[in-house]
Amino acid sequence: MDPLKHITYYNHVLVRLPSNNLKVCELKPNSDVSLGKFGAFKVNDIIGYPFGTTFEIHYDNAIEASAPDAGPSGDAAQEGTSSKGARNKFKIPVGRLSVIESRLTANAAATGLGSEEEGTPQRELQLVGNSDSNKNLINIGSSIQKLSSEEIEQLKQQSVSSNEIISKMIEAHGSFHQKTVYSQEKYLKRKKQKFAKFFTVEYMSSSGLLQYLIDKGDVLRAMDLSEESMGMILNLANIRSNGTYLCVDETGGLLVYALLERMFGGENDSAAQGKIVVVHENEHPNLDLLKFSNYTEEFIQQHVKTVSILDYFEPPVTEEVKEAFTPLTDEQLKSLKSNKKGAYYRRLKWYNTQLEIIEWATKQQYDGLVVASTLHLPTFVPKLGERVHGSRPIVCYSQFKETVLELSHTLYNDLRYLAPTIVETRCRPFQTIRGRLHPVMTMRGGGGYMMWCHKVIPVGAADAALQPRPEEAPQGAEAESKKQKTE
Amino acid sequence: MSHFSEYKDLIQVGDLALVWISRDNIKPVTITAGETFNTRYGSFPHDDMIGKPYGSQIAVRTKGSNRFGFIHVLQPTPELWTISLPHRTQIVYTPDSSYIMQRLQCSPHSRVIEAGTGSGSFSHAFARSAGHLFSYEFHEVRYEQAKKEFEEHGLFRDGNVTITHRDVCHDGFTIKNTDKTTFFDGKSAEEAQQPACIGADVIFLDLPAPWDAIPNLDCVISQNSKTSMCCFSPCIEQVDKTLEALEKHGWTEVEMVEIQGRQYESRRQMVRHLDDALQRLRDVRERKQVGVERRKRMFNKIISDQEEPYEERPETPKTQFNPFGKGSRVKEGDSNYSWKEVSKVESEIKSHTSYLTFASKIVHKARNEELVQSIIEEHKDVTPESTLPGKKDKKQSVNK
Ligand SMILES: C[S@@+](CC[C@H](N)C(=O)[O-])C[C@H]1O[C@@H](n2cnc3c(N)ncnc32)[C@H](O)[C@@H]1O
Repeated sequence: MDPLKHITYYNHVLVRLPSNNLKVCELKPNSDVSLGKFGAFKVNDIIGYPFGTTFEIHYDNAIEASAPDAGPSGDAAQEGTSSKGARNKFKIPVGRLSVIESRLTANAAATGLGSEEEGTPQRELQLVGNSDSNKNLINIGSSIQKLSSEEIEQLKQQSVSSNEIISKMIEAHGSFHQKTVYSQEKYLKRKKQKFAKFFTVEYMSSSGLLQYLIDKGDVLRAMDLSEESMGMILNLANIRSNGTYLCVDETGGLLVYALLERMFGGENDSAAQGKIVVVHENEHPNLDLLKFSNYTEEFIQQHVKTVSILDYFEPPVTEEVKEAFTPLTDEQLKSLKSNKKGAYYRRLKWYNTQLEIIEWATKQQYDGLVVASTLHLPTFVPKLGERVHGSRPIVCYSQFKETVLELSHTLYNDLRYLAPTIVETRCRPFQTIRGRLHPVMTMRGGGGYMMWCHKVIPVGAADAALQPRPEEAPQGAEAESKKQKTE
Repeated sequence: MSHFSEYKDLIQVGDLALVWISRDNIKPVTITAGETFNTRYGSFPHDDMIGKPYGSQIAVRTKGSNRFGFIHVLQPTPELWTISLPHRTQIVYTPDSSYIMQRLQCSPHSRVIEAGTGSGSFSHAFARSAGHLFSYEFHEVRYEQAKKEFEEHGLFRDGNVTITHRDVCHDGFTIKNTDKTTFFDGKSAEEAQQPACIGADVIFLDLPAPWDAIPNLDCVISQNSKTSMCCFSPCIEQVDKTLEALEKHGWTEVEMVEIQGRQYESRRQMVRHLDDALQRLRDVRERKQVGVERRKRMFNKIISDQEEPYEERPETPKTQFNPFGKGSRVKEGDSNYSWKEVSKVESEIKSHTSYLTFASKIVHKARNEELVQSIIEEHKDVTPESTLPGKKDKKQSVNK
């Protein structure tokens, strides 16, 4: 069993609900996980399965046939055997699990891929008949559905399988057969999402964590980042497992997590030496989201270093630190009274931290600078850039184009930054059904903008004569085209 | 380490460097003592670069004029390589490749299959991040060129890149020692007996008929964990055939998307106030008025037959009011004028690259019951409420 590929105790995982929303779960041995209206299950029942496995929840006698080819008639056979005594009102009952082929099997109406032949309607639909067009369909709203919501609730209480509820609703649906097969499928999909009891367990990827924030309506906390911008940042910044990166992360740790995943792939015993030095504006860093990661604390301490902007820009002075404290020799340490050891080690830790900060702020040459900050970028970024090694990329993410535009103007006039460019990337998802491929009708806006450039070392100030003026800078050929013609 | 994977400080003899002349003109150069690098801005001796830190700007006095030409010497990265490489085929650009890598969770833990290699643009990005890259190319010349290039770039030195000459649609992905492949290079005769263990969990298909390659994947993908795939096809008809094959071969979580990448240049637009524009017109009108009145006086004098009809033209009045520099070439950003910072999209955008069809597959959706039961047994006394073992211990308890 590989905790990066299989569902493992104590790990944080993402659980994808029938609604497609994600939920974060920590898998404690012998515990139950409740998915609210979608049911509940035992952690022990999912341990060891590969990530990506989809499970269906069954209750008591109302076990749905799990074979993918069992139709609604299979469920009907169990009708009536499912009602069982009053349930605990406060606790969602824990069901048994079966592995199903895919989310489509449970939710076959979601795409046409579930059907055997092109254009074959869903099984449920073959049974009820349908119309070639919807010209006879008069929209009389919810009154068309003859099952009242109370009756539906009652069916749910009886723990009738979701397929059964849906079959009953179709039966009771006054004009269902007048709908076209397409709209019938849409109806089925909506209803299945509502009543289905299945879930998929996913690895805690950086994209998944972002999606979780989006589902929660919390993406502004992550500066409106999108998956495509996140991928773009990692590639443009040339993130690799052996680099030392300077980073500002106002996304609550999402960005740092994305870097860690790209660098180490979740491996706690990775031999790679890469490091992220996170500069933060408050007294304490906010990398909250790392609590969902499956890296050990030790691993994070080794690979993620944090330092406040004040300590970074006004680092301690080596002499003063050394004056304030001198580590004892082994001999001296041995003879130190045990009641003084605690205080000694606290001082030693302080001493080492101070020396580390001096190293990061005044000596380290960074292999890249990645910034997601709402501080004023034109003043912040050039100062951070000072410690970036020549030829290494700088990538700044912002929710707004105007802020990266202002930054790129500032950097354009600074010879230490080569060709600042504003980059945007947008993903357009399609309804992926054969014969009905088209871009989805609505999608999330946003996704932000990036400024990308490389740190360079201009011809020495000593050769002042050689110093190009900004307009003649290496962009030489480009600068030409920048002259604005005014007649 | 390769020319890409090692973070180098100084430019040294034998390095592969990228010389940045301008954004659309980046040239790969192998640094060689005594050589010169020629551009229309001048000739740059390699000796001027050797020993300088990467990122250094190099100046040279241009021939026959007193101006200087400048270049920057950069260490290659996959992204810079993508914008400078010699095209042998269509290539995948960074907006697409970065999204694909992110969505397929590419990391040092990934084992990646890529077909075909083409110009090797995406291969370089995969090689940076993947645990192992298996790249396939059926066009013999392209295979040889890519192999040579990977060699020169030092990609094989990192030990995580294999390229194989193969038609993956007809002959699948399995690699044996009788094949034309780099996989067995440097391996002992004994090791070479076994076919390569591929166990891919990331698949990228950029070839005309991915539906013919899909049936061949089952035996080379991870058998007991999830494999994620992306097919990259420019035409919607290809997507349709791909969807058919994916469905037939048990791939799920199918979604097609399109990526739109854009770049903007930062520019300045002159701020031209209405008041100034009005003032300029008033100025013009006043001038005209002066002329009209002068002509009127002359005319009146002629009519009244006075002597000396001629009137001196007045001295050219104060310079014209010209707030926007009309009639002269004003450089964008000229400090005599005021400017607004604006962004300009590239004049030609890549409006369509390809459709990206994603899918995933778990060959065996099962668990090792025996192992799982022993793990459950081991934890049977843990109550859900009990405090967690330190994150550090938990590794030991699960890594069996
Ligand atoms: C568009 S190019 C790939 C470009 C590449 N992704 C890049 O970024 O440079 C497609 C390549 O696939 C190769 N190819 C096509 N069919 C193939 C097959 N059946 N097996 C192996 N390679 C194939 C072609 O020779 C061509 O070089």
